[in-house]
Amino acid sequence: MDQIFDGINLISETLGWIMNSIGYYLILKKCGGKPILGLIPLVREYQISLCADKEPEGRRFAIVTALEIAAAIVVKVASLESYPDGAVTIIATILLLALFLTSLVYQFRIYDGLCQVFGRRKRWLWLWFFAEPVVALIWGFSKSFEPRKQLDVVDENAGAKESGVIVKAVDDGLTINIENRTTIDFFQKKYLLKDIHLRIPKGHMVLLLGGSGAGKTTFVNAVTGYEKADASIILNEQNIYTEYKKMKYDVGFVPQLDLMRGNDTVYRTLADAATLRLPSGITISKRKKRVLEVLEEFGLASIQHSLVEKLSGGQRKRLSIAMEFISDPSLFILDEPDSGLDGVVARGLFEKLRSIADMGKIVIVITHTPDRVIDLFDDVIVLAKDASRTGRLAYYGPVDKAYDFFGKDSMEDILLTINQIDEGGEGRSDEFIEKYADKTLETERKAV
Amino acid sequence: MNEQNNINNIAETENSIKHRGRFSQVFIYLGKLFRMFIFQNDWKVLPMSAVISGLVSYVVGANLFKTQEGTLMGTFALSCICIWNGFFNSIQVICRERPIIKREHRSGMHISSYICAHMIYQAFLCLGQTIITILVCKLTKVTFPDESLFTSWAIVDIGITLFLITYCADIMALMVSSVVHTTTTAMTIMPFLLIFQLVFSGGFFQLNGNMVNRIKETTISKWGLTALCSQGDYNNKPMVSLWNAVSKFQDVDASDYLVALEDYTDEEQPQEIIPVNDLDFNTTPKKELKPIRDFMVYAQESGAKEQILDWSGRNNQNPNYAFESDIVLKCWGRLILFIIIYASIAVISLEFIDRDKR
Repeated sequence: MDQIFDGINLISETLGWIMNSIGYYLILKKCGGKPILGLIPLVREYQISLCADKEPEGRRFAIVTALEIAAAIVVKVASLESYPDGAVTIIATILLLALFLTSLVYQFRIYDGLCQVFGRRKRWLWLWFFAEPVVALIWGFSKSFEPRKQLDVVDENAGAKESGVIVKAVDDGLTINIENRTTIDFFQKKYLLKDIHLRIPKGHMVLLLGGSGAGKTTFVNAVTGYEKADASIILNEQNIYTEYKKMKYDVGFVPQLDLMRGNDTVYRTLADAATLRLPSGITISKRKKRVLEVLEEFGLASIQHSLVEKLSGGQRKRLSIAMEFISDPSLFILDEPDSGLDGVVARGLFEKLRSIADMGKIVIVITHTPDRVIDLFDDVIVLAKDASRTGRLAYYGPVDKAYDFFGKDSMEDILLTINQIDEGGEGRSDEFIEKYADKTLETERKAV
Repeated sequence: MNEQNNINNIAETENSIKHRGRFSQVFIYLGKLFRMFIFQNDWKVLPMSAVISGLVSYVVGANLFKTQEGTLMGTFALSCICIWNGFFNSIQVICRERPIIKREHRSGMHISSYICAHMIYQAFLCLGQTIITILVCKLTKVTFPDESLFTSWAIVDIGITLFLITYCADIMALMVSSVVHTTTTAMTIMPFLLIFQLVFSGGFFQLNGNMVNRIKETTISKWGLTALCSQGDYNNKPMVSLWNAVSKFQDVDASDYLVALEDYTDEEQPQEIIPVNDLDFNTTPKKELKPIRDFMVYAQESGAKEQILDWSGRNNQNPNYAFESDIVLKCWGRLILFIIIYASIAVISLEFIDRDKR
């Protein structure tokens, strides 16, 4: 009798798997995904989550299900080995139950996403839960079930052409040669940046412009050596990557958020930053003098005994910059220093940055409101996403020539031109990436 | 012009010199932490520990270090206070400033220095809490043992154990705070850790099975409780639970049983004893007989009660709680080992802070 039940169970499971596979195959085909992946358990759930526009849930579901399988194996083995007191079995069973409940939640969210993408009512959720193979077949075969949006498949080979021109290092200044910057995301290699070559002379203040996801922060992190790329970054004839331990003190990075302890005083915050960043050979009196100088320079002397949490947005930002400026770095990078500041305060801040650049430093600034202070910049770097969603260099050069290059009369218009259509832009990034690559090649040819 | 020269001097020096090493950086962060103690709310953990220990010693302090049961219950409660204090000291301290740590790590901060500074600062907090706990126990008239194993004062020996339990729990929470990314996650995990420590202490709840016993070995509460019981000379304390259990039967009237036995005179041995509830007392002549109460009265009047309590205590000894320095040293050693392991995990996990999502 048991054998009969086992046989029926096996047949029903196999049948369910076949129905699911066919259904998922057809649904993935409709979504514009890779249908063949619908045949592989776990992978197909992840693929269907992409179709449901629920990628994070799909990723977690796949991980949780994999752990669930592992826990089930442990339970099985432990029961066979008959471990003393059965503690392993109990623990693994509790874990299995917790994982099962977790996977149910993710599954629910994925089905919910599918209903939304296919424009179906929520009642289908329950059908998906209790009769998945049948529903998968219906949604796969029936022509009345069509997704409202297709999968955004990125063709890695569809990117704009590359210049591949390696720029020679300048004696005094910053030379950037980034071949590419990649990352592995859920077993997939992704290109974040590619083919970015430029030289920034000393004393220049450079605007870093780019739409959302164009790779501005990735670029900045690659330049500072914080997240290394396949690249060569030379600052004042020294390679940042190979001499990172020493060079990191010559690079100041001011993050977008004012990351400081609110319960410390302004003076102590700066003094601690000085102790951390200045060479240990400097005497206490010299260090103190430097702290007082910087406090004075950034207009913080009168509030040096105030707690950081009591400062205004502008004062806090100035303190954040002063913390990096204390070590007198050659390269200064600021990520949206004007966020949350009004026009007048922001203008004052950028004028301060201009004066830092005039001291012979290189200042690179990311900002989303560049036009109000564009007169203070020397050059602009324009990063844009190409067709393969990789951050590319669309322009680097003087600000006034940038207007001619893009045929626009403001930085915000330039941004609109290179932004993707689904982001409200004109989607002309590839055109300008290639135009700039041609321009670079032409310059190189002339130089040769 | 002077300013420019000064800056250039710094830049020139920078090419040839070193920056602050790990040791020097510890002092930077120690300064920050002690300022936080004053300016932020960290000082509040000290009065809080006084309130908690006051409550607990009021409830369980009366029989602490007097009887076996009181010692076990009291030391378990003391361990709980210490673990609670330790957890609350540091569960949020790192995760709440994770983005700041990331920035400072980028600017040259050594994670080991940062954790070391925290460990020193937390040791100061734990020491304060231990002293407060002992003072409160003293105020609430808790009797500490007369004999000690290491120093001349038992209170100091017990203080060391209380400090190690608190500190170990503190560093465990510091480890959790380093591993998790948000305060919400830290506060979600904390109750689980707390329950785990309480349930698997092994002394108060009976645990059976090899696996469970192995898990028990990894808890702070097990080693803390063992050390405290050993220092409290658990094995040489009287056991009162047997006496208390017997005293609950002192009103049992044995004459009921005798009547029931007399009904069986036609047989040599009674087949079964009729339950008291089934007897018809209206028809049966009754003579009150309470031998348990008589015995207890006699024992109390003759001084035999103390002997009985001592005798039952001797039969309830636990070799793990013997009044021996080796046992306490072993417990302290385990707690120190845990501290080192937790601190190492905290450093290792925080070294990966650069991988945090933006």
